[in-house]
Amino acid sequence: MAAHRIAHVAYTGPSIIKEIFYGMTLGLLAGGVWKTHHWNEQRKTKAFYDLLEKGEISVVVAEE
Amino acid sequence: MIFLEWLFLTIALCDAAEPWQLGFQDAATPMMQGIIDLHHDIFFFLILILVFVLWMLVRALWHFHYKKNPIPLRIVHGTTIEIIWTIFPSIILMFIAIPSFALLYSMDEVVVDPAITIKAIGHQWYWTYEYSDYNSSDEQSLTFDSYMIPEDDLELGQLRLLEVDNRVVVPAKSHLRMIVTSADVLHSWAVPSLGVKCDAVPGRLNQTSILVQREGVYYGQCSEICGTNHA
Repeated sequence: MAAHRIAHVAYTGPSIIKEIFYGMTLGLLAGGVWKTHHWNEQRKTKAFYDLLEKGEISVVVAEE
Repeated sequence: MIFLEWLFLTIALCDAAEPWQLGFQDAATPMMQGIIDLHHDIFFFLILILVFVLWMLVRALWHFHYKKNPIPLRIVHGTTIEIIWTIFPSIILMFIAIPSFALLYSMDEVVVDPAITIKAIGHQWYWTYEYSDYNSSDEQSLTFDSYMIPEDDLELGQLRLLEVDNRVVVPAKSHLRMIVTSADVLHSWAVPSLGVKCDAVPGRLNQTSILVQREGVYYGQCSEICGTNHA
């Protein structure tokens, strides 16, 4: 039996720098998703007001 | 992306509260649009910090579980990390403060030449509106009371606790000045879609400026407790 010759990996613990890096990356990705939603909404709002200005759409119901 | 679009539900033009509504009502003034944009800016940092803190928490619980790590560390100092976790939040606060102050000070700008000035006088439990700009010297101002329509008198399609018998009619795409006061107790004149809320204080005239960008019907409720029939 050569069990005494098997090298055991010593648990050295987590690397704080790596964990901070992974956390910030995930945070920025999630924030990026939100920002994309915000920019999308801004674009839709701007398009709405542009169409309203040009007269292509109206928010006033035509009187019969 | 479709899932994400569904997740952040698009609400069709919404100038009154909708059932199960999560976000703001649609903006009808540049002020409200500014408020929504500021909220989105701050929410980005909120998500960033939330995800980061949750990650660190979960990883700490994972790495330092008593079975995996039976002997806890006895670290009491970490000067570098303490500096980082002081400076970094200060920078975030600075990024939040800049647009926040910009919006706040823009709200305080007084419109020099409004197209019309309307007075809103709070009573228990109705509003009186006065249009005094366009009457000749011996004429009485156009004045009317605006009562909330009780639930029993609502017609089909009308909104509960929001509809009134006489609406305030204001010009669109024109600067208007609201002067708000009260005849009895504290009230508050608020319209969420317009991003306006102005306290009605007895013995005091408060002023707010509004520029409505599109025609529509906008709803609001008294926003200062004023007695049994408040809002």
